[in-house]
Amino acid sequence: MAADFEAPRISYATRRRLARVAETTILLITLAIIVFPIAWIITTAFKTPRDVYDLSIVFPPTVQNFVIAFNAPWNLGSKLVNSIVVSTVTVGIAIPIATLAAYSFSRFEFFMKRSLFLLVLATQFIPAVVIILPFFLMFRDVALMDTRTGLIIVNLAIVTPFAVWMIKGYLDAIPNESEEAALVDGASRVRVIFDVVVPMALPGMITAAVFCFILTWNEFIFALILTRENAVTLPVGLISFRTERGDWWELIAASGIIITVPMFMLALVIQRHFVKGMTMGAVR
Amino acid sequence: MAEIVLSGVTKRFGDFVAVHTLDLAVVDREFLVLLGPSGCGKTTTMRMIAGLEEPSAGEIRIGGRVVNDLPPRARDVAMVFQNYGLYPHMSVADNIGYPLKLRGVPREERAAQVRAVAAKVRLDGLLERKPAALSGGQRQRVGLARALIRKPTVFLMDEPLSNLDAKLRVEMRAELKHLHHELAVTTVYVTHDQIEAMTLATRVAVMNKGIIHQLGTPDEIYNEPADLFVAGFIGSPAMNLIDGRIDDGTFVAGRLRIDGLGRSTRESVVLGIRPEDMTIGPAGSGHGDLPVYSSELTGDSTLITLADGNTRIAVRADKTVRPAIDDVVALRIDPRRCYLFDAATTRRLAI
Repeated sequence: MAADFEAPRISYATRRRLARVAETTILLITLAIIVFPIAWIITTAFKTPRDVYDLSIVFPPTVQNFVIAFNAPWNLGSKLVNSIVVSTVTVGIAIPIATLAAYSFSRFEFFMKRSLFLLVLATQFIPAVVIILPFFLMFRDVALMDTRTGLIIVNLAIVTPFAVWMIKGYLDAIPNESEEAALVDGASRVRVIFDVVVPMALPGMITAAVFCFILTWNEFIFALILTRENAVTLPVGLISFRTERGDWWELIAASGIIITVPMFMLALVIQRHFVKGMTMGAVR
Repeated sequence: MAEIVLSGVTKRFGDFVAVHTLDLAVVDREFLVLLGPSGCGKTTTMRMIAGLEEPSAGEIRIGGRVVNDLPPRARDVAMVFQNYGLYPHMSVADNIGYPLKLRGVPREERAAQVRAVAAKVRLDGLLERKPAALSGGQRQRVGLARALIRKPTVFLMDEPLSNLDAKLRVEMRAELKHLHHELAVTTVYVTHDQIEAMTLATRVAVMNKGIIHQLGTPDEIYNEPADLFVAGFIGSPAMNLIDGRIDDGTFVAGRLRIDGLGRSTRESVVLGIRPEDMTIGPAGSGHGDLPVYSSELTGDSTLITLADGNTRIAVRADKTVRPAIDDVVALRIDPRRCYLFDAATTRRLAI
């Protein structure tokens, strides 16, 4: 190696080309590792049960799996509706609450502010399995078992503290002067929040909303324990394809696509807003 | 029609006293400048008048009404901020019109007033832009227009020119001066720039460490400084402050002997003399012979620094005077332009 440096028998141009080849190879291998499971899911979803265990990429495609999944006994449709309702309502409630809480933490001084803020963070340290039993007992007693309302409440508890933290980060970066200008211009504190703070914090709020949506959408353990029939969500629906009569891989793959596609679209949205959020901070 | 009266106003942040039992009466229609180094409490004082800070003690009245418990929006003050405080997501027109929107002025009337005010501060043609697409001077004019459109009883300006470049600052200064003349609204203006203070103010309040050292016209502040702080803060280059004693009307410090300063005798006094009130001459022809420490030609004059032991004395001499370093020259002082201060109390002494 050292000899190479002293007497470069391979020209620098060649070396650079070699480096680029190595770089591309590593990237391709990494990509393959990431993409393979996804590709497998996508192809499997369109295969007949007979083709599932065959790794060929050329096969007669079918949408039969989606038809089966959406019909009885699987009823993926109602689970999709449950997932959409639970996720949307959770985010719709969590973001306004979190924004107001984050604003208070960011702008006002009050008793025990630091401790309270740490407490908000501390809720995130508790693993779900630890509190699932109390939730189970409580929900059984107040008849919230197997209801969307119950799931929304649980998800709010998970997601709101997270959103408070995230949105506070964005609010801290917004200079106070515009708000003070609005106060002097004649706005009440509430007006200031709606006219000045929210428009400036919007990229942060959207980012937080998307993250919360993804968290709720993918939430599994609470949905598994706290639902049975009526409020079952997609991730729980997914494992119902593992039956005593075997695993229905082609149906799992099809539902996997149904779960993933909305996430994929949200990822695109979040990416756009991340970029926007960054450039907004650069302009004073 | 509003005078502002602060009585016994104190502001504490934890243990730090930012403003210390301040009494200040801003006369109706005057342009009062709060001048002082950073951290002297001038901005805090203004923010208390605006209602953005709550005084820890004391009373603030605007137009006879106690405003201590009123939110900013109920005080009828308009404020121009150092960093402009614009609404980045609104167009220039919406920025300027926002105070009217809050007061429920109908859209068409609002648009007409925005156009009128924008023309006054020469922003016409930029109304559809966002603040990010404006230069610093233009942004500050938006801030100004937004304050003007209200026709408030009080204007508050917090270092509005400090983010502008030197040329623009001079221009905007003239505009502010003209606007105040035209509108005749009580204005409180915060700055650390003494030129701004001298040129704009009806009266200047020189502040340091939370107290007002002197309140007076620019002329008084410059020519009749009340104490050592004001004497040293106002003027550029700063007034020479020389420690010494006075013996039957003759000031003695190092090699300096200056007579004709009354008839008093006093230990530890400070003599104040501005660089432009002295000249130099051939050795032996003045109040003391001192070596030249440095000599700088500034264009319109020569700034000469003399050394008297460890004391440095700055002299603004005619631009034709070009002494070499270490030349010994005589310092000539006009005794009528000298100030004497008590070294202990820092107050000025009568001569």
